[in-house]
Amino acid sequence: MTTTLTTATDLSTIATTPLTAMPIGSESQLVIAPMLIVLLAAVGSLLLGRRPWGRIGVSVAGGVAYAIAVAAIDWYIILAPDAPGIATYQVGDWPAPFGITLVVDGLSAFMLTMVAILGIASLVFSTRVLPEIDRRSYYFPLFHFLALGVTGAFLTGDLFNLFVWFEVMLMASYIFVAYYGGPQHTRAAFWYVALNLLASAIFLLGVGGIYATTGTLNMAELARRVADPAAYGIDPGPIVGLLAMLLSVFAIKAGLVPFQFWIPTAYRSAPPQIAALLAGATKKVGIYAIIRLSFTVFADAQVAVSLDVPGTGIAVAGDSPLAFVGAALFVMAAASILVGGIGAVGRSSMEGVLAYSSIGQVGFIAIPVAIAATTANPTLRHVGIVAALVYALNHTLAKGLLFLAVGTVRSATGTSRLADLGGLAGRSPPLAIAFFVGSLALVGIPPLSGFFGKFLVFDAAARAESTTVLVLLLVGSLLTIAYVTRTWNRSFWGVRTGPVETASVDAVQVGVLVVLAAAIVAVGAGFEPVYEFADAAATAALDSEGYQEAVGEFVHEDEAGGGHE
Amino acid sequence: MTAIVLAAVIGALFALGTFLILRRDLIRVVWGLAIIGQAANVYLLAMGGIAPGTADTVPVLAGHGEHVPETADPLVQALVLTAIVIGFGMTAFALVLSYRVYEEHDTLDVSELGDRE
Repeated sequence: MTTTLTTATDLSTIATTPLTAMPIGSESQLVIAPMLIVLLAAVGSLLLGRRPWGRIGVSVAGGVAYAIAVAAIDWYIILAPDAPGIATYQVGDWPAPFGITLVVDGLSAFMLTMVAILGIASLVFSTRVLPEIDRRSYYFPLFHFLALGVTGAFLTGDLFNLFVWFEVMLMASYIFVAYYGGPQHTRAAFWYVALNLLASAIFLLGVGGIYATTGTLNMAELARRVADPAAYGIDPGPIVGLLAMLLSVFAIKAGLVPFQFWIPTAYRSAPPQIAALLAGATKKVGIYAIIRLSFTVFADAQVAVSLDVPGTGIAVAGDSPLAFVGAALFVMAAASILVGGIGAVGRSSMEGVLAYSSIGQVGFIAIPVAIAATTANPTLRHVGIVAALVYALNHTLAKGLLFLAVGTVRSATGTSRLADLGGLAGRSPPLAIAFFVGSLALVGIPPLSGFFGKFLVFDAAARAESTTVLVLLLVGSLLTIAYVTRTWNRSFWGVRTGPVETASVDAVQVGVLVVLAAAIVAVGAGFEPVYEFADAAATAALDSEGYQEAVGEFVHEDEAGGGHE
Repeated sequence: MTAIVLAAVIGALFALGTFLILRRDLIRVVWGLAIIGQAANVYLLAMGGIAPGTADTVPVLAGHGEHVPETADPLVQALVLTAIVIGFGMTAFALVLSYRVYEEHDTLDVSELGDRE
């Protein structure tokens, strides 16, 4: 693969500042760096199958290199004072509408950062919990393929490629759900596979419909065409329906009600450190796709939407597909908060509580997105996306920490049933403190990251002046407090049970938990830069024209004589 | 005419696939999923048309002489090819899983698989 020449922006940045004095085109190369690194890690760990320690070494080195690449993207493309804010890479040097485009903007970078942090934690954790036989099996290569799928989904600028990366991610996750190989796990994996095969077919239908309607699948080109249908001779009418199909597929990945039913069994069946990744990373792919397609791609389409639910007086009307997305997302998010919260209160195992909690928490992420979609006020729309992103970050850190904590408890005591646990706090205080911090972050206590997440979500609801949403959020928060307290009381307080008495807690596992807990505190205490990052991400998500220009510039340049011969 | 036949075939495939997914036998569920996947592929293929080629629509041929022939839309064919490969792999995996379910539960009847908890 060769790299394209730099864009005009790249050249001017490099000319004016010594800070980004990198070789020409390195920003474009940075875009593809995380994917190449994680692919190399996957292949490398596959080849080193007979040398378990070599495989672990390659895996961890790959994880660290991935985090460094993502950090470089964050700094050089998004956060540095003179950063371009967006960068593209044309795979194989084919120009934009034909070739495959990879794009990094604030939104992708924010999502990648979450995955990088959680990925490293989960990877280090994995090296400690796997039995010797599994180190030689395909665990680590699959782990990297899962990360590859997630990374590709965040970076691609092409709708069909989004489908392909979804499949890469899913293929790895299928095997992880079946990983422990008991009858329950096989059954859970089968239903998970069946559901996702169906979802893939629906995704293909949506992609085909959008191609037939607009004549392109490049997201920037799509945004350009639907914003000005007359100039391209297309009829934007079917877009709302097609977007509804895609929305249902993404809602399955995000686990929004009524597409949540696979989550409890799948999360319980996967190893805890993978469940952390499923909740923290693949779930966010669904959220990312909803935000990207709704706001960056289809927000400017002029389509009359009018929906009436007969007999209820509920009516939705607007002149953009966002009116539909907002209404549908609001209903799904509200149901998620209630179903997830109520479900979590009655579970009998720690994984069960966390899996249902995950359904509820994704509702908290989707509510501000729904608010942003329904409002016409640009400030409120911005606030909504920022709130969703900050909450997503909090959920990734807190839920990742909690699932890893369950993994620690399970490898120490051999069980995660609440009835068999008790008095863990006295057995391992650092584990208890880390779990406590994660729980409080879910509830939203200052100064943890959860406080700002909750605060921004409530702020968005208050600005939207919707009492219904505020009451809903309040109920959801109370349910969170209820199940978090119950889990804590049952497992960490009370009389020590037999399994807890004989438990030996692994120091490295607890170390990972403590680092994640410190990250949660750090995000909350030093919230200013995190907010700026989320702010830049929201700006990028809503800046459809900037996205089109950044991707389109390559076409222009190529026509002018650059590119391939 | 072709369009109507295609539409009818795609509709029939989806109907058959949905019917099979609702069966109690796991293997039929997998067949249903495979058929729905193929129906989606046929649909995808039907979404492209045949158009006079220009340098814009056929970038591969553009550098090889003046004449660019009338072509079927190459993009949908590339998409379908990818989708077929992915669908094939996924179906194979689902079949292996259902065999495994049979080994562990001694049945392929969905209603006898027991509680999903």
